[in-house]
Amino acid sequence: MIAFLYRAALFAALLYCMAAAGAPGTVLDPGYGAPQYEPPAPGSYQLPPLGIATDGKVLNDLGEQLALQDLIGDKLVLLGFIYTHCSDVNGCPLATFVMKKVQDRLVEDADLAQQVRLISLSFDPVQDTPAALLDYAGNFRRKDFDWQFLTTASEADLLPILEGYDQWRQREYDKDGNYTGNISHILRLFLIDRQGRIRNIYSSGFLDADTVVNDLRTLAIESQAASGS
Amino acid sequence: MRWIFLLVALAANQWAFADETCMSPYMAKITGQEDFVYVWTLGVEGVGDEQDKLVTVDVNPKSANYGKVVSSLSVGGRNEAHHSDFTDDRRYLWASTLDTSKIFIFDIHTDPAKPVLHKTISDFVARSGGVVGPHTSLALPGRMMLTGLSNNRDHGGRTALVEYTNAGDYIVTHWMPTDDNLQGAVKSGQYADGYGYDVRVLPRKNLMVTSSFTGWNNYMMNLGVLMADPEAMKAFGNTVVVWDLHARQPEKILDVPGAPLELRCAWGEARNYCFTTTALTSKVWLIYEDAKGEWQSQAVGDIGDAAKIPLPVDISITADDSRLWVNTWNDGMTRLYDISDPHNAKQIYSKKIGEQVNMVSQSWDGKRVYYTSSLLANWDKQEPAGPDLQYLKVYDFDGKELKETMSIDFLAAKLGAPHQMRFGAYALYGDKTASR
Repeated sequence: MIAFLYRAALFAALLYCMAAAGAPGTVLDPGYGAPQYEPPAPGSYQLPPLGIATDGKVLNDLGEQLALQDLIGDKLVLLGFIYTHCSDVNGCPLATFVMKKVQDRLVEDADLAQQVRLISLSFDPVQDTPAALLDYAGNFRRKDFDWQFLTTASEADLLPILEGYDQWRQREYDKDGNYTGNISHILRLFLIDRQGRIRNIYSSGFLDADTVVNDLRTLAIESQAASGS
Repeated sequence: MRWIFLLVALAANQWAFADETCMSPYMAKITGQEDFVYVWTLGVEGVGDEQDKLVTVDVNPKSANYGKVVSSLSVGGRNEAHHSDFTDDRRYLWASTLDTSKIFIFDIHTDPAKPVLHKTISDFVARSGGVVGPHTSLALPGRMMLTGLSNNRDHGGRTALVEYTNAGDYIVTHWMPTDDNLQGAVKSGQYADGYGYDVRVLPRKNLMVTSSFTGWNNYMMNLGVLMADPEAMKAFGNTVVVWDLHARQPEKILDVPGAPLELRCAWGEARNYCFTTTALTSKVWLIYEDAKGEWQSQAVGDIGDAAKIPLPVDISITADDSRLWVNTWNDGMTRLYDISDPHNAKQIYSKKIGEQVNMVSQSWDGKRVYYTSSLLANWDKQEPAGPDLQYLKVYDFDGKELKETMSIDFLAAKLGAPHQMRFGAYALYGDKTASR
């Protein structure tokens, strides 16, 4: 019950941030606001590969064990790391906010939406159980959209994934050595193509959903050209 | 959470804090007292082990080691050590070299007091397709954007930007636009020289901006010989290029005559401009977006007496975008400009720091200002010997006056010629580290 109330409060805070973004005096990352530029047109630029997307053992929000690679290859993937009890409005809530904006944009483009999967993968296998993620996902995921909320069964399963994505994370401890529940990390999202290659890395603080969608379109155009269709 | 807080500070409160000299906007900043300064130092013949090295100095007044060199890590040989900067997660320091084009990547997070060499990139020229002299290492999300100064065909000034992953794997090369190949960019003035030097970004405007210096032939030449060679003196950059950051597409080439060097962009969210200074013509230049959304260049201030060639080098913008430190290497002066009106930069303070002064870095709150002396091995002054020739000096700044608090004579300490400074702090890596 406490966990539910906490997440409900967090969701309320996020909704507040969404509403407050751009309001005078509000101190939010640029990612919450409207972009100050027109993103370059899809297909007008290159997205050179940045390496191979790492595999690993994960659990979906139904508790089913999967290989991360099972979710990579058939679609274009936008992958971000979060933890659901992150209380910093410019931390994980922003990453989820931007993912939701991408989802909203894609709903307007059914053809592209069918080619895209969003993945939010938890930093915290202890508190972010599949049930907790299912609850969290209900606040953001459209019923018909392919947005996977994943966790891991253990730190042992999580660490190789974090290392593979060069995703630095550190649990914070108080002066007595007790875990505070907070996790320090840098905010990154990864764009992955159908060959399992990382094609862009975004800092969510400056992330613009329209720019991400144009990157997805760029990769879709590239796939079409490669297949000759 | 602390890391996140720092990220919040950099991204959300950009208008509220100083720039910790000139860091990438994607990077966490040290908001409190820095614990260390990492000084990328040129090896000097006859001085210590004569090798390039990363020197770590404890600069926290509360530390028992305050003012001491706590680590000196030599990398082998002299490579023309020059600039350095962190990855976006601030765990690694990339230190570049202009002669051998090697890039040394140091792990500075495992023990911030004792960096270790993590990786050396020795094939930069071959992998990049002939780019020589990696200079700036600017952190972008998950990758580094490196500027080159030269090329391996004629060792002149035509060069490129080169991207690497944070892991040190080559990604792609972007050659600078030239008259021969504008690459879709608009040539707005007389020049499209293809030269390179510094790079900075304004992500909220999708802007990347680059400046231009000179090639290997010149920067490895003795300064006196160079100054006496009229043909060589023509081979300096005269351009700033405005790029589409996301597409890596050059959009407009601006005339900024006289070798525009360091670039520093304003932090205020409505302040769409960057500053640079020209080494040969001694002016402050503004690169700004006009009312029509077009990027323009404008000379907005004079730096000393240009006829005496004071040679403006490093610059540093302050917290509220109201001040700009400008060092002039040849006369050893640091100069503070009022840039409240960015179109009218006015010098309001100056102080002689040493026989020569190159780099300037300031703390997050602007209360501490750090200086080093070395410019290039073959350009540096050799006399008069003493503590003002090759040094690290630290000053407190009260808004009106610099007061020296610490200095290290790098020749007397048998270290070499100090160049770029970058700050380190335990706080960046969590409480466990801080408690060591």
